[in-house]
Amino acid sequence: MNNLLEIRSLKKSFAIKSGVFRKTTGYVSAVDDVNLDVYPNETLGLVGESGCGKTTMAKIILALTNPDAGSVVFDGVDIHAAKGQELKKIRRGIQVIFQDPFGSLNPRKRISSIISEPMIIHKTGSRRQRLERSAELLGMVGLSADMLTRYPHEFSGGQRQRICIARALAVNPRLLICDEPVSALDVSIQAQVINLLVDLQKKLELSYIFISHDLSVIGYLSHRIAVMYRGRIVELADAQDLFDNPLHPYTRCLIAAVPEPVPGLKRKIEQAMPDADEIGASSEGCAYSGFCPIREAVCMQEKPGLVETEDRHYVACHMHALLRGLS
Amino acid sequence: MQSQELLFIQDLHTFFFTPDGVLKALDGVDLRLARGRTLGLVGESGCGKTVLALSILRLIPSPPGRIVKGRINFEGVDLLRLDERSIRDIRGNKISMIFQEPMTSLNPVFTIGSQIAEAVLLHRRHGASTKKQALDVAVHMLKMVGIASPQARIHDYPHQLSGGMCQRVMIAMALACRPSLMIADEPTTALDVTTQAQILNLMKDLREEIDTSILLVTHDLGVVAQSCHEVAVMYTGNIVESAPVEDIFSSPLHPYTRGLIRAIPRIGALRRGESLQAIPGNVPTLKDIPRGCTFNSRCPEVMDICRREYPPVFRPKADHMVRCWRYVN
Repeated sequence: MNNLLEIRSLKKSFAIKSGVFRKTTGYVSAVDDVNLDVYPNETLGLVGESGCGKTTMAKIILALTNPDAGSVVFDGVDIHAAKGQELKKIRRGIQVIFQDPFGSLNPRKRISSIISEPMIIHKTGSRRQRLERSAELLGMVGLSADMLTRYPHEFSGGQRQRICIARALAVNPRLLICDEPVSALDVSIQAQVINLLVDLQKKLELSYIFISHDLSVIGYLSHRIAVMYRGRIVELADAQDLFDNPLHPYTRCLIAAVPEPVPGLKRKIEQAMPDADEIGASSEGCAYSGFCPIREAVCMQEKPGLVETEDRHYVACHMHALLRGLS
Repeated sequence: MQSQELLFIQDLHTFFFTPDGVLKALDGVDLRLARGRTLGLVGESGCGKTVLALSILRLIPSPPGRIVKGRINFEGVDLLRLDERSIRDIRGNKISMIFQEPMTSLNPVFTIGSQIAEAVLLHRRHGASTKKQALDVAVHMLKMVGIASPQARIHDYPHQLSGGMCQRVMIAMALACRPSLMIADEPTTALDVTTQAQILNLMKDLREEIDTSILLVTHDLGVVAQSCHEVAVMYTGNIVESAPVEDIFSSPLHPYTRGLIRAIPRIGALRRGESLQAIPGNVPTLKDIPRGCTFNSRCPEVMDICRREYPPVFRPKADHMVRCWRYVN
């Protein structure tokens, strides 16, 4: 299979500064040695709790921040080595939708200029063609063309998110990064936007990197899911396989914590849940070792690498042989 | 099962008088909550969930808001008839509230210990009359909500705690006076799933321990299924369906409730060929509420009468209420 996006040993850390002189007192790794591929026409779900590095990953893939080490290759070109026209071409191929549909549309611009802006930047078409294309895009996301002359405040949250999607699609991208695109929406509206994304993927042969903290949304529309914890991918598997047969203790904990809309159905929560402040993990060892119910001495000393335990199922855990026995 | 009634709301109307006209945020709400039970109040943004919660505490900003009509019976007293002094005795004492944003609900310039102690001192609970005694209560409360080394933590400021910890502190503060009713307005929405599961478990344990009732305001049906006894579904300022939690999920009656349940993404459903069933259209804003049933423009089973008249209450079962013309006999 040809990869659309290849992420290789990607690293990014941020300095922790404290004191009057903002002296660097330490580093926090937001992305720590991540390897990931995105195939054409697939949805890769990226799940993890707040602060685990999901959004930093997105920013690096969009070339909005540079990584400390590692590479991101889109369609054969290294994103962070590219410059000028080449970079512009990549940017055209990768577009993004953000979480907050209220903050991501300029309130002073009409919908027509919001949607044509990417086309102006990438110099596609004449003024008239851009306008026609904008109308077509609005139709594609389920809004009507007469809304082009309106302003963002006249739309509800779900409609705004549709406008954001139309804008992202304006330059025919091949990869769409969706950073929590539905978590600010109401349940009934959330379903509309999810259905729209699924339809558009079929129609336009798009790939998505779908970032969310909500396992049920991720589980609904992803083909493969990567679970992130403190900057590292701890498990990567086909979506169904991940839920049927979760290997990493953290993945199990996440799945058990999802409140199921079925009264009386209690998933057994096998272990103590991690609380973000109780950092008990050693810096050399596995980041999850502080909470892990099955940790051994080795977990405190060495970071586990991501290994393929079964076909297309990867897990980063020293105890994976034991885990497979358990499930 | 039908134990003592703690809260009984009847025909409650809360309106906001704005230059653009009168917004009927609550338009005839009826609600009952028994002692020791958890009632889930479900609905989408703008349906009036929070206004209902604030109306119970008489915290509606006025002007522009005003409780126009109705009764809120709490432990046999009509809260709407109390003067400001008496309602202040109830707020934070017999009825307490926790909010969605734990980080912004705490005062950043006071330690968490002194913020809990303030509530205790204000209401002179636990026989505490000095700051020292109140701080002891605070330590006890922090321990109860599962915060490690509470003796040291009372000197911490809110910014030193994580979101989950702040919400624990909020719960400790809310429960410090052993209220008979705790109103929790989206208490876990801003938290991670794993933290959410912890907080929900904690609330359940504490409800039993100090025998309080909980009014849980949320938009998440998963949370409701896991932690409530009864459910009331709100839409545009009114309760459209209420029933025990099992009935709401096994035999939802109102088309809106059915739509909400079908709109929840289930893991693996797409690959099994099941597509998500969204409710078409948008939630109407209070400014342009449709005539008749307010759900009529989005309803798949709309009938003629739905466009003309607002449906009254129907009770297909004794404990199952629904406002929908389909259930007229």
